[in-house]
Amino acid sequence: MNVAVIGAGRIGKIHAANAATHPALTVKYVVDPIGAAADRLATEVGAIAATLDDVLSDRSVEGVIIASSTDTHLDFSVRAIEAGKAVFCEKPIDLGLEKAKSAAAHFEAPTARFFLGFNRRFDPHFARLKARLSSGEMGRLETLHIISHDPAPPPIDYVKVSGGLFRDMTIHDFDMARWLLGEEPVAVYAAAACLVDPAIGAAGDVDTAKTILRTESGKLCVISNSRRSGYGYDQRIEAYCAAGSLRVGNVAVSTLESWGEGGTQSEPLQNFFLDRYAEAYRAEMAHFADMLAGKQPLVGFADGIKALAIAVAAARSHASSACMAISN
Amino acid sequence: MTVHKIALIGAGRMGSLHAENAVANPRLSLVAISDHNEALASALAARLGTAAVPFEEILADAAIGAVLIASSTSSHLENSLASVAAGKAVFCEKPLSLDAEPLAAALPDLEAGGRPVFVAFNRRFDPHLRSLKARFAEGEVGKAESLHIINHDPATPDLAFVPRSGGLFKDFTIHDFDTAGWILGEPFVEVFAQGACLIDPAIAELGDIDTAKLILRGRSGALCMISNSRRTGYGYDQRVELFGAGGALRVDNVTITQVRRLGEEGESAAPFPYSFAERYADAYRAELDHFADVLDGLATPATGPRDSLRALRLADAAERSMKQGAPVALEDR
Repeated sequence: MNVAVIGAGRIGKIHAANAATHPALTVKYVVDPIGAAADRLATEVGAIAATLDDVLSDRSVEGVIIASSTDTHLDFSVRAIEAGKAVFCEKPIDLGLEKAKSAAAHFEAPTARFFLGFNRRFDPHFARLKARLSSGEMGRLETLHIISHDPAPPPIDYVKVSGGLFRDMTIHDFDMARWLLGEEPVAVYAAAACLVDPAIGAAGDVDTAKTILRTESGKLCVISNSRRSGYGYDQRIEAYCAAGSLRVGNVAVSTLESWGEGGTQSEPLQNFFLDRYAEAYRAEMAHFADMLAGKQPLVGFADGIKALAIAVAAARSHASSACMAISN
Repeated sequence: MTVHKIALIGAGRMGSLHAENAVANPRLSLVAISDHNEALASALAARLGTAAVPFEEILADAAIGAVLIASSTSSHLENSLASVAAGKAVFCEKPLSLDAEPLAAALPDLEAGGRPVFVAFNRRFDPHLRSLKARFAEGEVGKAESLHIINHDPATPDLAFVPRSGGLFKDFTIHDFDTAGWILGEPFVEVFAQGACLIDPAIAELGDIDTAKLILRGRSGALCMISNSRRTGYGYDQRVELFGAGGALRVDNVTITQVRRLGEEGESAAPFPYSFAERYADAYRAELDHFADVLDGLATPATGPRDSLRALRLADAAERSMKQGAPVALEDR
């Protein structure tokens, strides 16, 4: 099955390579406004550099992978859906909640096939957690703790266009919370600060946050975010249930330990999201291939909207120092 | 070495624990035990080879320089005041009071005689947490940005205890309020609390909650998250993580033994301790050593009435926050 990759940046390269190595997929086109970037990636994966119009008018292209800049996600998705293509779009669907909602009709059409890439749902560790929560072995879920700390802050130019910590970073955790809680949060409170880098504060953003979500039935979820751990990618989830707890720990670069007079020392944590979630990105592509073969997408437009709505409410909570209701 | 004659007030669960540690401590001599329930006092006294003596006689006995108060929480303040007035040094189980205003009003009397009043917050004497605090204070991970405290009990308390507990925040989270301020070394300026009854509806019927998540903001801007549950189902879950500019420091759970089993289904470790008495056994012994240091004049109490009041005010603020569904600002004191 032929697919096209839109966007030849960091994440586009990952998706293109995963599509190229998937036995059921062939990358036919790579699209990027920077011609040289499109050419280079196209050569690497045996594809042709083209324009989005070329892709959409080629009836042999079944799927479009959108990994372009965030501000193009919504428009490109709509155009690809209208052209009858199945779409795999990187998160987020958009940074503007109202703008994204206004496009709902395109995504809700019976013929639309749209998969939003919230990669963490495809991480084998978190997927296992979800499966065992769903099995009911630990009884009813009561509270959920999500620790999501980046190794180091992004470039300040990125911070300025990111949409802010809640819409850029915590949005992953909001999606995980919805998915694992199995209920929609109805209230959010976020306390945030700029503690890591004053330049982030000067750009109008925060770099550290604690967020509490509450669902209708009273389940509570805490999310901890930091733009800089100083020790790698800290990605942990603990689910506290009636009969015990399930937890996913961090992944180190290797299992080596050294034991010496000063104590024991294990290897550092993986330091980059592309390493930590390499498996998840491959699983996403396998899921997209299944979708092209007729399977329903596991994450869709409505999930993107709901996570975005929580992010908007969290940002408001922080700005107004109040607990905010989330309308569903 | 001076051996200090001390008396125990309250022969219940905490009293027995402290009494056993006092008997085992060569610097202390437990000479009297008092309890409203005379049979309880006599039984404990007989077991430990000491005497059951009414509280009034203990107060009047000039040979007894210090009292260890482990009576019911509602009598802590009154017993402490009476002991201080009688010139005794005081070791009082936390909390000193369940109400901030009577405690605030009693501060001048508690401090008037110059006798030391030590309010025992056990976490401060846990060797693991002490090491974390010391290494943070030495600057090992730089400036603190976040502190996470997980404090989950193995099983819900006796329902008869719930109405007189003071509620989750004053009874249970009070430990975490003290630990958080101690580790970070700064006061809190804001608290937000979400609470729920998710474990046992009988707790809600008694007007309390069994599950809570709190966010506190320190004066420096550092954020603190506290998680409480009255029932884990897997033992006493007691963890602390401090995230600083130069990395993190964390204290994990201890296990009853170090034996691990590797099998087809994976690797399994021994359970966590099921009671605070086991988990904090070292801390309770260290508390008494500290008290002996205080009696020897080698130390001033690590925590006193003002610390108890500070933690209590945080608990009150958390209660208000939960009821109002909004963060509550604290006076920076």
